[in-house]
Parts: sequence; structure tokens; C-alpha cells
Amino acid sequence: MTIADVVRILDGKLMAGDGTSPRAVGEVVANDLMSDVLLCDADDILLLTSLASDQAIRTAHIVGAMGVVVHNAKPLSETMLKVAADLGIPLVSSPLSKYDACVKLHDAFLAEERA
Amino acid sequence: MADYNPTILKAQHANDDEILAKTPLDAKTLGGDSSVIIMELLQRFKVRDVMKRQVIVVPRSATLREAQAVLRDNRISGIPVSENGRLYGIVSVNDIIKGLDGGWMDDPCEEHMATNLVVLEAGMPLAFALRYFNNYTYGRFPVLDSNRQLVGIISQRDVMRALLYELSVEIRKLERKTRKGAAASEEELHENYFRREWAVVRNDLSRAGHAANDIKGLLRERKIDRTVVRRVAVAAYELEINICIHSHGGVLVLLISDDSVTITAKDRGPGIPDIEWACRDGTSTANDWIRSLGFGAGMGLSNSKRVADEFEIESEVGKFTKVKCVFKLNRSEP
Repeated sequence: MTIADVVRILDGKLMAGDGTSPRAVGEVVANDLMSDVLLCDADDILLLTSLASDQAIRTAHIVGAMGVVVHNAKPLSETMLKVAADLGIPLVSSPLSKYDACVKLHDAFLAEERA
Repeated sequence: MADYNPTILKAQHANDDEILAKTPLDAKTLGGDSSVIIMELLQRFKVRDVMKRQVIVVPRSATLREAQAVLRDNRISGIPVSENGRLYGIVSVNDIIKGLDGGWMDDPCEEHMATNLVVLEAGMPLAFALRYFNNYTYGRFPVLDSNRQLVGIISQRDVMRALLYELSVEIRKLERKTRKGAAASEEELHENYFRREWAVVRNDLSRAGHAANDIKGLLRERKIDRTVVRRVAVAAYELEINICIHSHGGVLVLLISDDSVTITAKDRGPGIPDIEWACRDGTSTANDWIRSLGFGAGMGLSNSKRVADEFEIESEVGKFTKVKCVFKLNRSEP
């Protein structure tokens, strides 16, 4: 599942970064507490968060995340878009709630496994 | 308002390799017989390692009189004219003198600033900057990133300070080697060879995380094991956020030696009354504002402790808190 797949699955819109990146999602981390995110050991994390701030992007960069999704279509500031572009982190805005986004991503993973 | 498009004499989107290819680091480049150590330093250091990151700027609409006040108050001799990261020109003391002489001190800077600018790129080797200081008479150069955004300013003083520090480290190494004789093994010569410091401003969450992101980049450039890079970056980030949200401001220091990476965070107070309590998971004095920004869950110190090989903390109420995290490097060849 690449960032382009994530955009499609979550009815999202790519707001910054490279939407054609071939990096696959290793693990989805749905969290609004950045210290919790920093504790994750997984590689290629997709960070799903309602935190529409620069810190979500900076945290994603620290843990080497492959992308960030901000759910509930929260408005994203210009600086957040700039930080995402500068650090090369694909940033997606999705209208779904955190729960719905998690369910859809989970279903997509199961479908991927079955395929 | 006219849209200035300054002619930038030197600022290609070249990568470091291309620049290095154009700037061979031989003795001639450096203007004489130079030691291998100096040449190596000038190659290893990039403009971004040495430049000042907090650039004082004025907008195009500021008057020369206002620019003069900024120059005077900050004791500087030139100031970039910039808006939203875009560089439009530079106003120097010379422009002010001309303005005083000609009686146009109340004109906006954009009418009298220099627009034929010579700039450096953040990724250029320091050798390049040195060559520019030799070739041009300017006392400072603005530094742009690859997106043409103003990210810093570099003066001869900045270069001098960085080189003197690094040279003293190298000379200490040599002195130790001489004392121990030729038989001294490499393992005995552990010495710090890279140090950088970032100022962290109280409550400035728009910049918090900058240092940690830079640190991650610097460690990756040095090809340090990626799991170590991640652990160092996590500690640096947590400690940077801590200084930003809990203290009156302070510094974050990165030290890379032959066998370890050390992150030190030191602030100017208010200090921690109960260190043991503060280091426990989930204990926090954060307010709602901090929590709304995704922090303040009381994990900062415990996370830093968890990822570090060695963790030290000292604090004096009303004075300071100092946290040191050491990460061991296993650089033995397979």
C-alpha cells in the first residue's frame, strides 16, 4: 500500500510531498500524542492523526514515517505544508474520522493479504 | 510595490558533489600550502554547519532609518531585505551613509538596497565560502536552501570561530598522540570531532523540532547506523520540546566522537523540584495549550532515558536543568 493507495482508500487529497513514492506502508500508527509516536519502533510508519501542526510532520520525520494523514479534514496551515515539503513527507488530508480511516485501512490490508 | 527579482550571481541548484568537483580542495584553492587536516575540515564542513540560523531581516517597505536602527541595535553592518523567506536585497552601512549624505533616509529600503547579490547555498562545502570571502569584499553572505529560501547568514567571524574550535580539537588529538608515542592505538585516541549547538526559544513551537530534524540529517550524512540515528533523534526531539515548553529557553548540543553521540540539553530554569517524579512515565506539568499541540503527556524525559545508553539529569530550582543522553557507536569493521 503506497501513499497513492492511501489517498484513494481514505478519499483523501495529497497536500504536500511526493504522491508517487513507491514506499509501502509498514505499520499504521493512529495517535495524537507525539511522544507515543516517538516510542514506535516500526519502519515505514503511516501516521494517522488529528494533530494538524508542524510537530506532527517533524515527529513523522524523526521516526522515518512514509507519510502523514490528518483526518476529519482538519485545516492545514501553510507552515505545516511547507515543513512537509521541506522534509519530504507526503501529507494527506482525509475527511474521514480516525475510526473510519482505521477501519478502511484495515480492510484494505486484509484485501491486500488475500490477493 | 515593485516586485524585485534580484540578480543572484552565484546560486545554482548544484549538489555537493558538483560543487566539490568545481572546487578542488587543493592547496591552491586555499591560497598556499595547507595541512591535510585543514583541507579535510573545509571539505567536511558545510555552510549550514557554520552559518547563523537566526537571521535579522527587514521588509522592503522599511525605511533606511528603520534599517539603521536595526543595524545599530544589533551591532551588525548589513541586513537582508526579505519577506516570507524570499530574499530581495541587502542594506549595508554603506547604503545608510549614502542615505544620510543624500537625505533619503525616509525612503523604503527597496529603493536603495543592493540587489546584485552573491549568495551561498546551505549545502556548499566551507571551502567554497572561504573562496568567496577571498574573491569578494563582502563581510557576509546570505545563505539560501535548495528552494531558494533564506535560511541563514554567514560571516568571516562564523567561519573563523568554527575552524578555531575544530582545529583545537584536532591539535589536542595530535598532542595526545605525541604524548602517547607512535605505539598509541587508535582506541586510545577517542576525541570529540564534531560539535554543534542550537538555541531553543521558550514557547516557540513553530521552530521546535528544527534542531532534532537537523541532528537526524547530520548523523545520516555521517552514515551512522540508522537505528542509532533514530534513537538519538527521538531523544533530541523530546529534549528540544521540553526546553521549548517547560523552560525559560536554552540550548541543545550535539557532540559526535569516535565512539559515541551525545545530546545535551541545558536550560536557564525554572528547574525541576523532584527529578525522580519528573522522569516517571505520565507525570507532567504541561498545560492545555501544550497538550493541544500533541505534547505534554509526561513522556519526554522517560522517552529520552529509554532510548539512550547513558542518561544523566541534574537540576537546580530557579537556575537550570541539564540532561545528557549518550549513545554508543559500534563502528568496528565487520
